[in-house]
Amino acid sequence: MVGLFEFLFKYRPVLFEEGRFTFVSPGWMQVAALLAGALLVVAAFTYRRMGGGGSDRTAGAERLRWLPPVFRSLAIAVIVFCLLQPALVLSTVVPQETFVGVVVDDSRSMAMPDEASAADGTRAGAVLEALSGEPGSMLDRLAERFQVRLLAFGRSAERIESTEQLRFARADSRIGEALVAARDELAGLPLSGLVLFSDGADSAPAELGDALLTLKAAGTPVYTVGVGRPRLRKDIEVSRVVAPRRVLEGSTVEVEITLSQTGFGGRTVDLEVEDDGRIVNVEQVTFPRGGSAVTARVMFAANDEGAREFRFQVAGQPGEELLLNNERTALVEVLKRREKIFFFEGEPRDESKFLRRAVGQDENLHVVSMTRQAANKFYGMNFDENTRRFEGFPTRREELFEYRGVILGSMEASFFTHDQMRMLVDFAAQRGGGVLLLGGRRAFSEGGFAGTPLAELSPVVLYDRPAEQGRPELLTDLRLELTPQGRAHPATLLRDDREEANELWPTLPPLSAYQRATELKAGATALLQAESPMVSAPMIVLAHHRIGRGRAIAFTPHDSWHWQMSAEIPLEDQTHERLWRQMLRWLVSYVPDRIEIEADRDRFEPGSTVTLRATVRDEAFQEVNRAQVVAAIEQPSGEEVEVPLDWSVERDGEFVGTFTADESGLYRVEVDARSEGQLLGVATSRFAVDELNEELFGAARRDSVLKRIASETGGRQVELGRADRLVEDLSVSREGTVVREARDLWDMPILFLMLVALLGGEWAVRRRLGMA
Amino acid sequence: MVLAAALLAGGAAALVARGAAPAATPQIGASDDRRAFRGRHRGPLPPQAMRTFERYLYRPVDPYEIQREFYFTRLAYSGHMYRGFAGSWSIDYPKADRQFMIGLKRLLDQLDAYDYDHALPATDPDLFRFPFLYSVEVGYMALSPAEREALRRYLLAGGFWVIDDFWGSWEWANLERELSLLLPEYPIVELPLDHPIFHCFYDVEEILQVPNVGQGVSGGPTWEQDGFTPHVRGIFDEDGRLMVVINWNTDLGDAWEWAEDEWYPVRFSHYAYQMGVNFVVYAMSH
Repeated sequence: MVGLFEFLFKYRPVLFEEGRFTFVSPGWMQVAALLAGALLVVAAFTYRRMGGGGSDRTAGAERLRWLPPVFRSLAIAVIVFCLLQPALVLSTVVPQETFVGVVVDDSRSMAMPDEASAADGTRAGAVLEALSGEPGSMLDRLAERFQVRLLAFGRSAERIESTEQLRFARADSRIGEALVAARDELAGLPLSGLVLFSDGADSAPAELGDALLTLKAAGTPVYTVGVGRPRLRKDIEVSRVVAPRRVLEGSTVEVEITLSQTGFGGRTVDLEVEDDGRIVNVEQVTFPRGGSAVTARVMFAANDEGAREFRFQVAGQPGEELLLNNERTALVEVLKRREKIFFFEGEPRDESKFLRRAVGQDENLHVVSMTRQAANKFYGMNFDENTRRFEGFPTRREELFEYRGVILGSMEASFFTHDQMRMLVDFAAQRGGGVLLLGGRRAFSEGGFAGTPLAELSPVVLYDRPAEQGRPELLTDLRLELTPQGRAHPATLLRDDREEANELWPTLPPLSAYQRATELKAGATALLQAESPMVSAPMIVLAHHRIGRGRAIAFTPHDSWHWQMSAEIPLEDQTHERLWRQMLRWLVSYVPDRIEIEADRDRFEPGSTVTLRATVRDEAFQEVNRAQVVAAIEQPSGEEVEVPLDWSVERDGEFVGTFTADESGLYRVEVDARSEGQLLGVATSRFAVDELNEELFGAARRDSVLKRIASETGGRQVELGRADRLVEDLSVSREGTVVREARDLWDMPILFLMLVALLGGEWAVRRRLGMA
Repeated sequence: MVLAAALLAGGAAALVARGAAPAATPQIGASDDRRAFRGRHRGPLPPQAMRTFERYLYRPVDPYEIQREFYFTRLAYSGHMYRGFAGSWSIDYPKADRQFMIGLKRLLDQLDAYDYDHALPATDPDLFRFPFLYSVEVGYMALSPAEREALRRYLLAGGFWVIDDFWGSWEWANLERELSLLLPEYPIVELPLDHPIFHCFYDVEEILQVPNVGQGVSGGPTWEQDGFTPHVRGIFDEDGRLMVVINWNTDLGDAWEWAEDEWYPVRFSHYAYQMGVNFVVYAMSH
């Protein structure tokens, strides 16, 4: 397209963009106008006279009568336009008085053998050829007009004297930082722009935008020269791993892995999960034939305490071009702590007894229960020295918010005060806790939840059921089945093998429920359902939805204990235990702590700046801004560094600090928050530092990055080898030492073609009209 | 024979009444009710059909009708001849059970309990649906292998068994032998007074010897045979869960059964109800 434009208009579009249009002989304007006017009058008169002539013209031919004078007029206009000497005024650099910085990507990804234009086929080879200084090479052409300064970059850019200093072995390439560093290096010189030779792979943790803004503000256009193929022929890549940063010991970890591929559509590969060299799961993933990426969900048990590095890898396939991007690791901290859950039950019943028993031996769950035995007579269990004692349901936020999860059993809404109900909703919405609503004759609609704040918690739609209707009817013989969402959810994984677990559910003894829950709220997800002859629609058995920061889960049957006590189920069967252990782990997963500390990522390259972000809240989970927050960082060598964190101002309770991580290995951060000398709490976190090979992911040439750099800085993307264009673009960049120069436009081929077309057209019409 | 004929007649009446609404729950206090409860098998009957075990009738709940959270389930076990009869499991049945339920429902008013007596043999496949069991006169218990197997599974799966009303070293020896066959790996231990079972609802500070109705009403000695000292013992599983509670040398059942008798000492029935309520609360929460 640009080629056609250049053919017709003599110059490339860039010159028209950069230049200013003018007429070199404006004094001729009046003469030319008079001349054109006279010629037009003569032409019109002549045609009018001739128009009265022939009498045998058809009606169609009559309509063409006006065309010849129009064609003639336009042809005259073109000639007059040329006579006025149209020109483009451009600011062009003075040869050898302006500088150009050539910034070369010196990272490992440049060694990729996917650049056909190079003799050795590598990206690096192509760059070396372009910058060889041989006659006709890009460097040579640039040097004809500019003073060229070479810079190489990995993490940052530094001057090099010749391309012999390029090694193409640096671990990462941070384009933004490198370009700013190059600009700083050449500050004070009349700089026309920077020329970036890169594959577009950017491993910088920060967004590119800030650096580009700096360059734009400094008036430094960046011209990007891309190397490599925009698409690898055959490659599989573990593009993305989304794993929780922390899980409770014994939990099922759910990790989302995105695999990209080119050239392997339709192929099934094994995705392996390794925990410290031990394979903990193998998932078969089939790539779609049409698309390129596929997302796999892998689940495995996290049974060993501590910071665990889980590796997700796909074995190299025959013909694959790049193997180093076939694996990624994720740092998951497996916590050994007892998560406190408050179980509030409105009546003595076997469901709550067996539920507590199922998790009673679980060292990571501490279920404190309060069961109403008689009106206003409660039986509290499992309170310990670290737990506030209270009778009935808590009346203060601090009492309730010290728990991470709440289980609400068969307790009618009328028991609670409005404040208590609000507090329970806030427990999920503000504190971010998990609320599990169990089925029972006094729960959900049957417990009068509709129209109260408790209704907000329910993922199923409630209906108004007056208490006068008496005892609700029990829906029996409910055989549970998984919904499509339930088939992939970790809470329903009752066996290690997903398939086996999915087949197990319908074979479990049937349950019963008082709840007629058939409709989900918008935004809620059902995981289990059951058909019952007593209700028309499938009954929702297990569903969940988010409420503010937290979540609420509904489990509507009231007798899951039959899966523990049943003549059909073997004594050693752990289905019931596993169900509740998983359910309660799910309930308290991702629940925020009062004090939290997190690095902005879980893994960094050596020398990276790590941003530490702490969140500080009081006992009622109100954010605290006036606090002294200090992070103690234990480095891999054992040395400890203290980093004070300051209130970010952007968000309440958020404190931020930075730290440069030079040593490779595992770091431990412990943050200590105090307010007016009193300890608010401590929190710990971990992150790892090692070589990430980040730029090998998405290893094909990233045109989008190169294009963005060029367009946001006012530069252009230039193809490798098109030195003429690069020189021309740089010459008119208006940066550096420039002179004004006018370029003629009267001899543009388009004008000549227009003239020929108009005169030819006139002649053809006249012939048709019999006037020729 | 007269007794057996009366029972069969009662059973026939119950069959006819099946499907009708359950009779109103009897209440202690009204003089008519007192008379009704004096007789051993009189008073309102539940709608279920009757079955027999060891010559005695019981009324199991239809599995599809199990709608309550709690059933006071008496174990109908096989046994030796007791005072010339078979069926020692049914001593004080059903009045003691039903009368205990009346008190229990009043004291634990949030408990969704079945109003009537409810007995099941250990081999009944529905036994697992009722995780609370009560037995008396276990000095005459002689479980068959099938009963033993079912009961063992029941207890290990999460069932809770309260044993009551047996006396002296001879009857203890019989129970000990049965339990050694049933749960050989788990020892019988004395339950200390600070165990939660004595404090989960009422605070029981002392183990009383509850006499049978004859000796209680007459003011005679509280013991029977050579069972002079009452004991509350238990069997725990490997996780420390209490599976069996043994009330030896005491008769809580008679104290429930005759609680309305003006001659039966109130302190015994008071204590028996406290213990019974604590057993239920403990069983429903641990």
